[in-house]
Amino acid sequence: MDEEVISVQHLHKQYRDHVAVEDVTLSVRRGEIFGIAGPNGAGKTTSVECIQGLRKPDSGEIRVLGLDPARDITRLRQRIGSQLQQSALPERIKVWEALDLFASFVPGESNWPALIDQWGLTGKETASFANLSGGQQQRLFIALALINDPEVVFLDELTQGLDPAARHATWGLIRAARDQGKTIVLVTHFMDEAEILCDRLAIIDHGRVIDLDTPQALINRHGGPQRLTFSTDHNDLNWLETLDVVQDVTRTGSQFTVTGTGSLVPLVSHTLVERGIVPDDLRIHQASLEDTFLRLTGRDQMNGLAD
Amino acid sequence: MHTIKHLTSVELKLITREPFTLLFVFVFPIVVLLVLSGVFGTEATEEWQGTTPANYYAASYIGTVIAALALISVPSHLAAYRERGILRRLTASSVSAQAVLLSQLIVGFLLALGGSLALILAATLIYDVEMPVSIGGMILSFTVGALSFVTLGLLLGSVVPTARSAQAIGLGLFFPMWMLSGTGPPPDVMSDTMRSISDVLPMTRLVSALQAPWFGDGVTITELVILVGILIIAGAAAVYRLRAADQ
Repeated sequence: MDEEVISVQHLHKQYRDHVAVEDVTLSVRRGEIFGIAGPNGAGKTTSVECIQGLRKPDSGEIRVLGLDPARDITRLRQRIGSQLQQSALPERIKVWEALDLFASFVPGESNWPALIDQWGLTGKETASFANLSGGQQQRLFIALALINDPEVVFLDELTQGLDPAARHATWGLIRAARDQGKTIVLVTHFMDEAEILCDRLAIIDHGRVIDLDTPQALINRHGGPQRLTFSTDHNDLNWLETLDVVQDVTRTGSQFTVTGTGSLVPLVSHTLVERGIVPDDLRIHQASLEDTFLRLTGRDQMNGLAD
Repeated sequence: MHTIKHLTSVELKLITREPFTLLFVFVFPIVVLLVLSGVFGTEATEEWQGTTPANYYAASYIGTVIAALALISVPSHLAAYRERGILRRLTASSVSAQAVLLSQLIVGFLLALGGSLALILAATLIYDVEMPVSIGGMILSFTVGALSFVTLGLLLGSVVPTARSAQAIGLGLFFPMWMLSGTGPPPDVMSDTMRSISDVLPMTRLVSALQAPWFGDGVTITELVILVGILIIAGAAAVYRLRAADQ
């Protein structure tokens, strides 16, 4: 499963007045959902547009399925699918007409009626694009992105403007597409989405990749210490600090907070129980990907790890 | 070819759902033709180049159909495709800028043809206007003129920033030209200043090219060469502009 389908080396892209992508290096493996996350204006969309051959990079090397998007774009487009940020269809085009039209751009037979069913557009075939809800428009765009049965699918800000139910439904469909063997590149600034959906992700800020790994590894590496809180009548638990994993023990009234790293939770719990302390309100506070992201990008206003 | 065929047939369907365009192509020229012919009567005099006002306007109003479509409807349509990301969506699906422009050109040409035929029919039924002397010359002039002007409209639509500005600029170009290109007052009643402005307007060339075969003056090579020149230069510039994805 570790076959590399996208490789980007030192991508750099400048617009007239500003640098959109400073230096991006990443690689995507076949069959994974790969996230590109970052704050607005970080260079996410420009990066994936270069990867899809929609923009020409100033420098750097890009290979998608072994092809150079700048040179082999025609061959490449037959093997990738795109859902673009801020793209649209003519207002008065009907759902079936759009699918039929985009299917006509693809060599060979297309099975677009199956996509209508798969993406929950049944009954909407003759509705105009403008009369679809936000969720339906997004599902139509995903169906269009899949119409050529691509090996790699690019989804840019997929769930923007969707309500929570529609987002969850969309996530399920994205997983289904991956389970059919497609590689998915997901651009997002929603960290909950990245954490739930992505197998691996790159966090981009100021046009650079800050780090790239699985969501859990990123949290472990950058999410800061874990915290355990519980209440007990015991007054002095400072002996907990003799455990290697514990960094700090603080007390507020009867409530204790133990801060530490690694296997903090099992070791502290075990030791407490050994000493006959069995709190019924023990809680684990671990950083989410969102906390990690805020720390990494220095957007937590607490002067995190940003350069 | 396959792509252009599908794109064109969908575009034609979409046009039938677009009241603004249909109004400008099918209703506006006929209404103005009827009003002007009604006002100026049906007497043949010298200002009307020796024919009746209705006859005079029938030929020139084919030019109005073409110019209204090409300058008002075509640019805002293409600009909206760029502005709303429809063009990007198509590009990402292997549709080239040339294919988009060509399908728009075909649709524009067919609309101009439909509008012109409706106009001729209305003029014939109501004012009994004479048919063109040279049908062949008319077909040639119409084809060159319509392709040239629609391409000019496509160039406009590929450079303006938004659909709104396309509409404003299109209307701003159309109405002065419409007043001065022989589609409003005939050239013989214009002042010298008006006429010297009129001479440099592309719509004047279009109207002259259409009037010559209609009135039996053959085809005007100069006009046709100018129109073909506009077609080639505007077409190349529009393709170049749309292909430059990096902005």
